[in-house]
Amino acid sequence: MSRLLARASRRHFLRHPWQIALSVLGVALGVAVVVSVDLAASSAQRAFEVGYEAVAGRATHQVVGGPAGLPEGLYRDLRLAGVRSIAPVIEELVTLLPDDPGTPDDRSPGEADADGASPRGRRTLHLLGLDPFAERPFRPYLGRALGGGGATLGPFLTEPGTALLAAPTATELGLVPGDRFRVGVGSGEARLRLLGTFEPASGAGREAVLDLLLVDLATAQELLGMRGLLSRVDVVADDSAAAALAAALPEGASLVRSASRSRSAEQMTRAFRLNLRALSLLALLCGAFLIYNTMTFSVVERRRLIGLLRAVGVTRRQVLLRVLWEAAGVGLLGSAIGVAGGAALGRGLVELVSRTINDLYFSVAVRGVELAPAALAKGLVLGVVATLVATLPAAREATMAPPRATLSRSELEERARAAVPRSTLAALALLALGGVVMVVSGRSIVTAFAGLFAILVGCALLVPLATVALSRALTPLAGRATGLVGRLAVGGVVANLSRTGVAIAALTMALAVTVGVGLMIGSFRSTVERWLDLSLPADLYLSLGSSPGASLLDSRRTLDLGLPERLAAVPGVARVNRLLRVGVRSDDGERVDLLALGIDERSYGAFDFRVGDPSSAWPAFRRGEALLVSEPFAFRTGIGVGDELVLGSPRGPVRLPLAGVFYDYASDRGTAVVDYARYVELWGDERLTALSIFALPGVDGVALEAEVERVAAASGRVQVRSSGTLRRDSLEVFDRTFRITSVLRLLAVGVAFIGVLSAFMALELERSRELGVLRALGVTRGQLRWLVAVQTGFMGLVAGLLSVPVGLVMAGLMIYVINRRSFGWTMPLDGSPWVLLQAVVLAVVAALAAGLYPGARMARVSPAEALREE
Amino acid sequence: MSDFIEIRDVHRSFREGEQTHAVLRGADATLREGELAILLGRSGSGKSTLLNLLSGIDLPDSGSVRVDGTALEELDDRGRTLFRRSCIGFVFQFFNLIPTLTVEENLLLPLELLRGSVGGRERRRAADLLGSVGLADRAGSYPDRLSGGQQQRVAIARALVHEPRLLLADEPTGNLDVDTGREVLELLDRLVRGTGRTLVMATHSRSMMGIADRVFSIEEGLLVEHGADGAASS
Repeated sequence: MSRLLARASRRHFLRHPWQIALSVLGVALGVAVVVSVDLAASSAQRAFEVGYEAVAGRATHQVVGGPAGLPEGLYRDLRLAGVRSIAPVIEELVTLLPDDPGTPDDRSPGEADADGASPRGRRTLHLLGLDPFAERPFRPYLGRALGGGGATLGPFLTEPGTALLAAPTATELGLVPGDRFRVGVGSGEARLRLLGTFEPASGAGREAVLDLLLVDLATAQELLGMRGLLSRVDVVADDSAAAALAAALPEGASLVRSASRSRSAEQMTRAFRLNLRALSLLALLCGAFLIYNTMTFSVVERRRLIGLLRAVGVTRRQVLLRVLWEAAGVGLLGSAIGVAGGAALGRGLVELVSRTINDLYFSVAVRGVELAPAALAKGLVLGVVATLVATLPAAREATMAPPRATLSRSELEERARAAVPRSTLAALALLALGGVVMVVSGRSIVTAFAGLFAILVGCALLVPLATVALSRALTPLAGRATGLVGRLAVGGVVANLSRTGVAIAALTMALAVTVGVGLMIGSFRSTVERWLDLSLPADLYLSLGSSPGASLLDSRRTLDLGLPERLAAVPGVARVNRLLRVGVRSDDGERVDLLALGIDERSYGAFDFRVGDPSSAWPAFRRGEALLVSEPFAFRTGIGVGDELVLGSPRGPVRLPLAGVFYDYASDRGTAVVDYARYVELWGDERLTALSIFALPGVDGVALEAEVERVAAASGRVQVRSSGTLRRDSLEVFDRTFRITSVLRLLAVGVAFIGVLSAFMALELERSRELGVLRALGVTRGQLRWLVAVQTGFMGLVAGLLSVPVGLVMAGLMIYVINRRSFGWTMPLDGSPWVLLQAVVLAVVAALAAGLYPGARMARVSPAEALREE
Repeated sequence: MSDFIEIRDVHRSFREGEQTHAVLRGADATLREGELAILLGRSGSGKSTLLNLLSGIDLPDSGSVRVDGTALEELDDRGRTLFRRSCIGFVFQFFNLIPTLTVEENLLLPLELLRGSVGGRERRRAADLLGSVGLADRAGSYPDRLSGGQQQRVAIARALVHEPRLLLADEPTGNLDVDTGREVLELLDRLVRGTGRTLVMATHSRSMMGIADRVFSIEEGLLVEHGADGAASS
C-alpha cells in the first residue's frame, strides 16, 4: 500500500472531518444498538442460568412430582434403598415485608431511611428449605453458612423460624443476627429470625445467592403449609444410576435433568430475544445505508483525484484496496465506539429486557450487564463487515474510473437514472425471493426474518423508481407553489439521484420500521384490548399477590379454600368461579401450564373459539372429558381438536382429548384448561390461586369491592382488583413489554436521521460551487435557504410517503408470519391512520431538521469563495 | 456622458494564515456606458477580486464602487443580490453552468429569477440567443456534454439573456484553445457592442487589447490605464 496514497486519503478526510465523523457515528450507532440488545438479552438469560445453577448446586438430576409436590416419604424410601447423593428441597418465592411499627422485640436499624423509604420494601427472596446433612454434595454455601457444623447448625435444625441470609443482603437490609423480620408467603405471612449470615463466593452465581433465604426443611414445610411434602429431590448421579433411579420411581414422580429447567427458560424467551435481535439488526441495516451513502460520496467527490492517480499509474487494485482500507478504518473506529456505547446502552436496556422477562416469563434478578467478550467481538466484526459490504459498490465505482478526470457529473447522474430499471428488476426479484422464503420456510423464525430482510432490501431498491415518479408528479405542483426555487429543488432531487436516492432509501427504511413496528404494536394492543374486554367478564378478581417467576417454580401457594363460600355469601355477590394455575408435565417431560377452571355456562362467553365447536366442546369440558387449549399452546405443540394430550398425574398418565382452541394473549407458552372438579379428582390437589366474583345487577361495585376485601383479608394477604383495574394493569404490562421495541424504533430513526443529515451535508458541499453560481446570478441567501429546505422537505415527504406502503407490508409480515411463528398469536392488522400520518410528518420534520445546518451553511458561504477554482 | 462605473480609492486585502495579503491598495477608475474595458494582470494580481467588487459579490475594505450611480457598499447583501440579478451578467473562466439544468434551463434561470416565472416570450428569447451563439440544437443538452467552447458560448448567452447593462467576464478564454478563444471573443464583441452594453473583461492575455476601448492593468494593487500602444497612460 503506497504511503503517499494513504497520506492523500488521510488528508482528504482531515479536510472533511464532519464527513468521517458522520460515517463513524453511523457505524457506531448501528453497532451500539446491536451490541446493547445482545448484551441485555444474553445478560438476562445468563443471569437466569447462573442463578439457577447456583440454586440447583451440583445436582445432575431432579426428582419432581406433580403440582402438589412430592411426598416426603419418597426421599426416605430412596435413602433406605441406598441412593446416597440426594437432597430434599423445598423452594418458593417469598416477599420480604416492612416491619410492623412498634413491635418491641424488633431491632430494625434499616427500617426507615431519612426519606422514609424502607430497604426491605417488598423485596422478593428465594426461599430454599434444605436438609443440612444431605447438602454436602450440592450447595457449598450452606456449609459456609453453618460454619462447618459449628455454632449455628444446632439452632438451625432445632429452632423453628430461623433463617440464613447472604452477608451483603443482610447488611443491605439492615439486619444482624438475632433480628426478626416478616415475610409474605402466599396469602399469609410469617416471622423469621436471622440466625446468621454467609459469604457468597465471588463469581457468576453470586447475584442469585444474594437473593436466597435459607431455612431448615421443617421450617419451610411449616411456612408453606407443605407438611409431609417436598418441592423436589436433587440428585447427583451418572447416566446409568439415573436410569435405574427413574425406573424405581413411583407413579406421579419423574426424574428430569437438572439443566432442563434452565433450557426451558431459554426456549421460553427465545422468540422474544430473537425478535429483539432482528429489530436491532434493522438499526444496523439503516446504519449500513448510511455507510454506503457516505463512503460512496467520499469516492465520488474524489473521482477527479482518483482519475488523476490512475493517470499517473495507480492500478485499479490499489484504488480498490485504498477505498476498502479507508472503510475498514471507519468501520473499526465506528465499531469500537459502538461497542463501548453498546455496553453503556446495554445497562439501560437490560432493565427493560429483564422487566419484560419478569412480567411475562419468569423471575430473574439481573443487576448488571455481563460484558461477554464474545458479544463485544461479534459487534466489532459485524460493524467492520457491514461497513466493508456497504462500501463495496463505492469501491467498485472507484476502480471503474478511467485514468482521466473520470466521469462527468451528468454522466454519473445519467448512469444513476439509467440504473433505475435494473434496480427495479433486482427489487422485484428480491421481493419474490423474500416472499418465497417466507412461504416455504415452514415455521422457522430465522428464515422468516431472512425473508423479511430480503423484502425490505427489495423495497429499498424500489425507492429510486418511486422517487423519480413522485418527483415528476410533484415538480409542476412545487413549481406552482414555490416558483423557480421549488422546481429547482424538486428537480434537483432526481438530477442528483445518485446521492438523494440512498438518503431517501435510508430514511424510508427507518420510517418503515417505525410504521411496521408501530402498526404491529397497535394491532396487537387493540387485539389484546378486545380480548381483555371479552375475557374479563367478572366484576372482581381475587388472587394471591403477583409472584413473578412462579411459572418456572412449582409453587405450592394457595388461597384459603373456604374463601369461595364465604364470598358467595356476601350480599350482592351472584357467584364465585374457582381457578387454579399449576404446572404439570406432559408425557415427554415438557412442562405444561394447566389452568383448572370451575365455571358454568354463564362464563363460557369469556372464551372465543378459534377452532372447535363451542356447543359440543363445553359440555365435554364440564364433564371433565375434554381439554381446551389456548392458540399459542396449540401452535407450539402442534396439537389439534380431536388429538389427545397426555399429562402426568399422581395416578399415572391422564389422556384427555382436545375439544377446542381459544384465542388467548396472556402467555406465549400457552395454557391447557381443564375442569376444576376433574383436576381435583385426577391430581388430588384442591388448591386455589384465584377467584372471579360476579356481582348481582345494580350492585355498587366500589362498595362490593370494599366488602370483598374485608372478608378476604380475614383469610390472609390477597389482592382484589376490579375488572377495570385488572384490564389497566394488563395493558400496563403490555406497554412495558413493548417499551424496548419503542426504544429500538427511536434508535433506528436516529441512525436514519444521521444518514439524511450526512447525505444533505455531502450533497450541499458537492454543490457549493453550483450554489455559488446561483448566488452570483442573483439568488438571495433566503432563497438559497428556502431551496435547501424545499429540497430536503421534499425528500422527507417522498421517504414518508414511501414508508407507508413499505411499513404496511412489514407490519403485515410481522403480524401474520413472524409473530405467528414466534408466539402463535393471531391478530388482525389494524392500520391506524395516526401511525401512518405520524411517519409522514416525522419524515418531513426529520428531513427539514437535517437540512437546517447544510442550508444555513450554504447560505453563509461567500459566492466569491464558492466560485474560486480549487 | 456621466460615468457608468466609478471605482474610488478601493482597498481589499485577504488573510492567508497569519499574513494579510493586500490585493487592491487604493484602486481608482471610471468607465462610461457602452465601453469595453480590458483588465490585464498576472494570476493573483486582483482581477477577479475587482470583478467581484463590481458585481457586489464581494465588498471593499474601504473605498467606493458605484455602478450606474448605485454605491454597492451601501447596499445590504439582499440589495446587492437584487442589483446583480437585474443589472449584471457574468461570464466565468470555468463557465459555471448549473450542471443539473439543461442548456435552455440555464438560460431561463436569470429570467425566472428576475421575473418570477417564464413563459413563451422568455423561451423565445432564450432560443434566439442560443441561435445567435450557434447552439440552437443543444437546448436540451446538459452542460457537461458540451465542449469547453460550447459551454462558454452558453455562459455568454446566459449572461446576456436578461439584458443586463453591465457584463463582467473573468478570463472567458482562459480555459479554451486559441481558435475557440478567438471565436468566443468575437461573439462577446458582437453581442455586447451591438447592444450598447458595458463589458469589463479580465484577462492575462495582451492579445485581446485590439478589441478594447480601454485597457487597465493592476500593478502593485493600483489600477493603471494603458494607451492603445500598451504604454501606461495614468
